[in-house]
Amino acid sequence: MIALLKRRLLQAMLVAWSVGTLTFVLMHLLPGDFAYRIAAGRYGYDQVNKLAADAVHVELGLADPAWLQYLSWLWDLLRFDLGNSLISGAPVLQEIQHQLGHSLQLALFATVFSLLIAVPIGVYCGKRAKGPADQLCLMISTLLRAQPVFVIGLVLVLIFALQLGWFPVAGFGGSQYLILPAISLALTMAALSNRIIRNNTASVMGSPYMQFARLKGLNAEQAFARHAAPNIALPVIAFVGVQAIALIEGIVMIESLFSWPGIGHALAHAIFGRDVPMIQASALLMGLLFVLINTVVDLLGYWLDPRQQPQPKKRGAQ
Amino acid sequence: MMPRLLPLLGLVLLAALLSLVAIDLLYFGRDPALQQLQQVFLHPSPDHPLGTDQFGRCNLARLSAAIQNSLLMSLLCVATAALLGTGAGLAAAWYQGWVDRCLSFIINVLMALPGLVLVLLFAALIPGSFVMLYLAISAVLWVEYFRLVRSATLSLRHAPEVEASMLYGFGKGYILRRHLLPKLLPDLLSLACFGAASAILALASIGFVYVGLKPPEAELGLMMVELLPYYSDAPWVLAQPLLTVFVLILSFNLIASGVRHDIGR
Amino acid sequence: MTLAVEVTQLSIYADEQCLVDRLSLQIRLGQPVTILGETGSGKSLLAHAIAGILPSGLRQEGHVTLFGRSQDALSQSELEAMWGKALAVLPQEPWLALNPIRAIDGQISEVGECVLQEPSTHSQGNAQRQLDRLGLGEDGNKIPAWLSGGMAQRAAYAAATYAGAPLLIADEPSKGLDEARRDQIGALLVQHAQCHALLTITHDIELARQIGGEIIVMRQGQILERGDAEQILNQPRSDYAKALIAAHPSQWPQATKHRQTTPVLSANALSHRRGGRLLFNQLDIQLHQGEIVGLSGDSGSGKSTLADILLGLLSPDSGKIANPLPRGQALKLYQDPPAAFAQHVSMGALLQDLIRLHKLDANQIPALMNQLNLAPALLQRPARAISGGELQRFALLRALLMKPRFLVADEPTSRLDPITAAQITQLLVKYAREHDAALLFISHERTALERICDRIISL
Repeated sequence: MIALLKRRLLQAMLVAWSVGTLTFVLMHLLPGDFAYRIAAGRYGYDQVNKLAADAVHVELGLADPAWLQYLSWLWDLLRFDLGNSLISGAPVLQEIQHQLGHSLQLALFATVFSLLIAVPIGVYCGKRAKGPADQLCLMISTLLRAQPVFVIGLVLVLIFALQLGWFPVAGFGGSQYLILPAISLALTMAALSNRIIRNNTASVMGSPYMQFARLKGLNAEQAFARHAAPNIALPVIAFVGVQAIALIEGIVMIESLFSWPGIGHALAHAIFGRDVPMIQASALLMGLLFVLINTVVDLLGYWLDPRQQPQPKKRGAQ
Repeated sequence: MMPRLLPLLGLVLLAALLSLVAIDLLYFGRDPALQQLQQVFLHPSPDHPLGTDQFGRCNLARLSAAIQNSLLMSLLCVATAALLGTGAGLAAAWYQGWVDRCLSFIINVLMALPGLVLVLLFAALIPGSFVMLYLAISAVLWVEYFRLVRSATLSLRHAPEVEASMLYGFGKGYILRRHLLPKLLPDLLSLACFGAASAILALASIGFVYVGLKPPEAELGLMMVELLPYYSDAPWVLAQPLLTVFVLILSFNLIASGVRHDIGR
Repeated sequence: MTLAVEVTQLSIYADEQCLVDRLSLQIRLGQPVTILGETGSGKSLLAHAIAGILPSGLRQEGHVTLFGRSQDALSQSELEAMWGKALAVLPQEPWLALNPIRAIDGQISEVGECVLQEPSTHSQGNAQRQLDRLGLGEDGNKIPAWLSGGMAQRAAYAAATYAGAPLLIADEPSKGLDEARRDQIGALLVQHAQCHALLTITHDIELARQIGGEIIVMRQGQILERGDAEQILNQPRSDYAKALIAAHPSQWPQATKHRQTTPVLSANALSHRRGGRLLFNQLDIQLHQGEIVGLSGDSGSGKSTLADILLGLLSPDSGKIANPLPRGQALKLYQDPPAAFAQHVSMGALLQDLIRLHKLDANQIPALMNQLNLAPALLQRPARAISGGELQRFALLRALLMKPRFLVADEPTSRLDPITAAQITQLLVKYAREHDAALLFISHERTALERICDRIISL
């Protein structure tokens, strides 16, 4: 388990390093005087003058060689000193805190919705593999998977917000604002995960250990609850980790579509406005969120699957 | 019967889109950026088979340009990723040691971030650059090839059939030709189809959040956001890029499903 | 004595192909019945038919009567209610038949809770007593992956029989087990058969001998002969039974010892570790022309590792090969014949590759194929379209083309049926001697090694 946590910690470091490096390069590619922009970000474009810009120039060590600037950039990152937004001038960390909360909320609901959709359908189809219901699900899943998440979101908006007026088109507020974005994400994820669950279920139901459980005398319900369910659940949990990529990519798209004030929206917005500190902070948090989801999934898998645990030496030494 | 028909359907869909491009290039050939503000949202007519958009630009020309952009991007990215990933995967598995450690480190860096976030960061470096997007998407796509080829080669390297060929004195080229490539080919091809779909999706996605190719470039995701405000005026124009992305991705996914069935035993 | 099962004129068909042909048998308490025959001959289907779990797509004719009740008259749920309580099945692959993520004690005691409605403490106690009796007392909290094949087989036995079914069907119970572990499971079955009905399905004549009772010899769904175990095993009448019994290593002629001549390969002071475990230490080995050396040991004891070191595929942790052979002079025959050939081309193309690489004489192939009893048409086929026995002869042919000085045979016959296995072994021994190659024969069958080898190295 220590090895597992070490691996994820290393991944988090890699996230920080790659985000830091890319944004450092980005900072230097920005057109115009770098210090002037920072100064403007700090004092507003009306107040900024050559003097303030020079002060910033010295303060930021922009006279230093590039490698020294790079190191101090990474050092700031390591201390979680992410600077101020070039656009609003407010400390990035402050802005991003709320946004992270909103994104987590969306991610959590999307994942729960996707499991609520995918698990019953996947298990149902897996028990009746190749039957008509299974074929129908395969068709729907294939069609859904050919839709980018933002197209699904767009279609839901067109139908449920603009035509029917059941939900608001976009924005943030009560639970009615959460439903459409969360469902769009959930549908995209469920389109794939229900097939994975279906395949697992079909292979577990046809496994020698399920047949043996029945031949031992267990009835169908007992055999399913005691032997099939845990063996279906394990790969499903692992797949939630695999889908973390789709989830985070989806968050960027869906938050932009629905103007949901989360870090995905912030990232797209910051890239459009070339607000480097905001880009750095939001990309960093997305990366860390990705690592966090995977860590939780790994720990759950470790806890539930004895094959990953060390072999007990003697009885009672568990 | 179903699994045999589906990849065929995928090919037919792709061919349909390509013939749309061909018709545009052969019979119309308008500039997709040409604005004619007195002809806004014209309904389809022999002159404009798919109508015009909010600036009076010909929808057929724009759609055709967007499809060319998407297909060119996916083709370039998949070719680059396949060559780079397969070569690097073979090298890492065969030579192991520091070659493997270096390559695996690069892969771990790339995999530490979700692909789209990486593409967004690259896109931010030089906004609106096709080349930058190509580099970014290829960088994300080759990871899959590398991982597939590396793990398959690692397990095959000590498989009896390869070991036997080595004992009989056959060289690396022979082992690659006789043992590795025939086994890898179906997986590589299906990965190529899925990769093409991912590239198209990535391009459309960043276009949709306005950080991809810049207007007046015709790009599917960009067209969607641009047309979204006019949804009530001309829903049928908005439907065009939506349907095109759907058909493109669906066709590649369908072809991928067939590649595995036909070649893999 | 009570009649447990009566099978009358049972036939099983897949489409038009007959897999089991009009089989009748009766099993009574205390009188075990054994079906003896090669793997893949439809024997296992009989077990499935009696338990009522024949895969869909197969058609069954004839009657099966379980404890006086005809299977035709039983509803599916009535039949299922008999599982565990009236009839138990000992699975063919115990490792796969146990839930991979639960400790085995729970998989045994749950039968008491679910089937017999016992309080859980009671079932847990019973399960522990069973485990103690089977020598698994310390292993109850282990999952199947941490058990050996023999241990998993005994755990599966405890789970299968917990509900007290008077009839036990054991399907290839000795598959994959070495001689000592086979005798263990055999003893368990003999004990079980004293007061229960037992149907064993096996290809292993030693297991059949151990169990006794009635033996039915089957091949390709046909009954060749049946009768008392003693009589069948000592005076078989059918050609197949004769061949099957003669193929057992205990019936092989003792090879004449070869006198040691020129050394081919010498290794000094070899030591090697794997996963922190010392496999062998300071091992000296010398192999001579025409000599046949056996290598035996439990699975995981490092037999294949040692062979790989001698072949130059692996460097030992310490020690060295004094005179490494050039590439193409030290060759190997593999356990799983189809795995040893490239899958996507024909055998002919593979042989051509070899001939071109080493500029060999292609004209010797027809004669060699003839000697090894390989039909020329096989050259057109890829490896997976050729039977295991033929493929292993092809592997031998491929090796002989190179005139190797050292040949390793790594369990070359363990995936083959007994008669083919005996043939392949004899061919290997013959050609190694004729070509003056040193042969290292790896096997877990001690008896076989003792018959064919000049000496045996044990790990």
